[in-house]
Amino acid sequence: MKATRGERWFYAVNYLLLTLAGLSCLLPIVNVAAMSISGDEAVISGAVSLWPVDPTFSSYTMLFKGSSILKSFMNSVTLTVVGVALSLLFTVLAAYPLSKRGFYARKPLTLAIVFTMLFSGGLIPTYLVINSLGLINSYGAIWLPALVSVYNMLIMKTYFENMPEEMEEAARIDGCGEISFILKILLPLSLPMLATIALFYGVGFWNAFMSVLIYINDTDKYNLTVNVQNMIRSQSLIATLTTLRQEDLDMIAPEGIKSAGIMVMIIPLIIVYPFLQKYFVKGAMIGAIKG
Amino acid sequence: MRGTTIRQSIRTHNQLGRSTSPSSRLRRLKMNIPWLIMFTPVALFFIIFKYAPMAGLVIAFKNYTVYEGVWGSQWVGLDNFRMLFRDPSAISTIRNTLTLSLLSMFVSFPFPIMLAIFLNEVRKLWFKKTVQTLVYLPHFLSWVIVSGMVITLFSQESGIVNHLLEKLTGATYPFLYKEGSWITVFVASGIWKSAGFAAIIYLASLTTIDPSLYEAACMDGAGKMRQIWHITLPGIRPTIVLMLILNMGHVLEVGFDQVFTLQNSAVAAVSEVISTYMYRVGLQGFQFGLTTAMGLFESVVAFILVVLTNMIARKFNQGLW
Repeated sequence: MKATRGERWFYAVNYLLLTLAGLSCLLPIVNVAAMSISGDEAVISGAVSLWPVDPTFSSYTMLFKGSSILKSFMNSVTLTVVGVALSLLFTVLAAYPLSKRGFYARKPLTLAIVFTMLFSGGLIPTYLVINSLGLINSYGAIWLPALVSVYNMLIMKTYFENMPEEMEEAARIDGCGEISFILKILLPLSLPMLATIALFYGVGFWNAFMSVLIYINDTDKYNLTVNVQNMIRSQSLIATLTTLRQEDLDMIAPEGIKSAGIMVMIIPLIIVYPFLQKYFVKGAMIGAIKG
Repeated sequence: MRGTTIRQSIRTHNQLGRSTSPSSRLRRLKMNIPWLIMFTPVALFFIIFKYAPMAGLVIAFKNYTVYEGVWGSQWVGLDNFRMLFRDPSAISTIRNTLTLSLLSMFVSFPFPIMLAIFLNEVRKLWFKKTVQTLVYLPHFLSWVIVSGMVITLFSQESGIVNHLLEKLTGATYPFLYKEGSWITVFVASGIWKSAGFAAIIYLASLTTIDPSLYEAACMDGAGKMRQIWHITLPGIRPTIVLMLILNMGHVLEVGFDQVFTLQNSAVAAVSEVISTYMYRVGLQGFQFGLTTAMGLFESVVAFILVVLTNMIARKFNQGLW
């Protein structure tokens, strides 16, 4: 069918607006990337737009030499990997029994768990509990309060409930115990859902900010978000780059270093973004259908 | 046939608990043992990290001191609340929270809907995929990154925005240090970060609209805009209502990360919200009783709003429970 005049206008405007929307998401990142590899004079004068001026990697070498960014990068990796493993384990431990119709007190327990979504003790009482457990300044304060996200647990529970019951019956007849059924049949068959939930948790731990800010005092234990935030915020960035020599400090553009810090956080995300997009979109759909 | 019998036998198997014969009760107990063992650590988690803090809310009615602890501290009744609602800075904090959250909510609400409708009208698949890939990306960036980019872009000396502005008008503008423009940047950065991903839900809902409706409208000579107005929008109305309701529960909530990473002392009068107030006055100023009262106020209002909106939603047959 041939497009009418009005339709042609509609499509032109539509494509234009969507192109603008897409570019608005891309260009700020390109700008920061360009600034992170531009020479200091160009950065300070604001001459960098989308293409690096006097390309140099000095911002990155300064950043890695002068600050604890590498250390905090490793801390972020530790926080994320251990956090995801613990949270996945606990979410399965919660979702599996609750998906069983014969489980004692299944309804009241589910209600008690969903209630924590609607009402919570809030910042200060939670802090006091963590404090009294002696978790301040340890990663336990980040991992333990985030062991089970109710939302993720509900997605997993629904997924387990929708598994064909014949499968479990067949496994039982073949003499499969509870543990081996979970490990050998249920979990391998739930891999796409587990991947989605692992990524939900992973992004949460990688981007963890408030909890680290509140519970971790030791600067050696800061993760990337808190470290980069301090760098962006510091009035005298130079003071945070304590290990550099004076002649190095003279040729630093603070904005260049800040941009490099932001890029160190963005690059790992862009690398895993194809997976993120694939599974997150699926996860958001599950949420949409349920909700 | 065989499938049905097995399904029936499983159904009886699963309903064993409801029958009362001693042997089936014993079997149910046996089935439950591994489940109870699995669930114990989870129950401990919820008791320690979710319900114990709820019990800790009692310090909102106490004069909390570190030495006396949660249970030993003196009861003071509603003194903390009285102090809170007489304190002008606490009142302005609540007002700021309402302003920022309502503005964010209503200004940003139409963006995902428009984005989804536009994407739905795209014929070229590669174009649609590319735009989707780009607009979903900001969702995964932490607020530290987003605010860091905002601060870099709008910086008065080296930011590209002010650089362009200077070329055009000859003057720069301190976007992040004036209250009005700070609020605008705050709301816009929220839209930038979340609109793309929020569009997914509407896109999913758009696929449920019967395509024959569009064909019929086309036959009747309806243009694209009329089709969107009379078919697309009514088709996703349930989703729109649902999202509106879900948003209502967050009226007293402005995410800590976004405000904390964007705020600066020049705009403190409009940027101090409940979450940053609790952090600064509570955790850094050790006013535990007072800020817990603020937290309790926030939690109770949020809870009432969720329950109320769900009641309204039920009227439209869209209740969440």
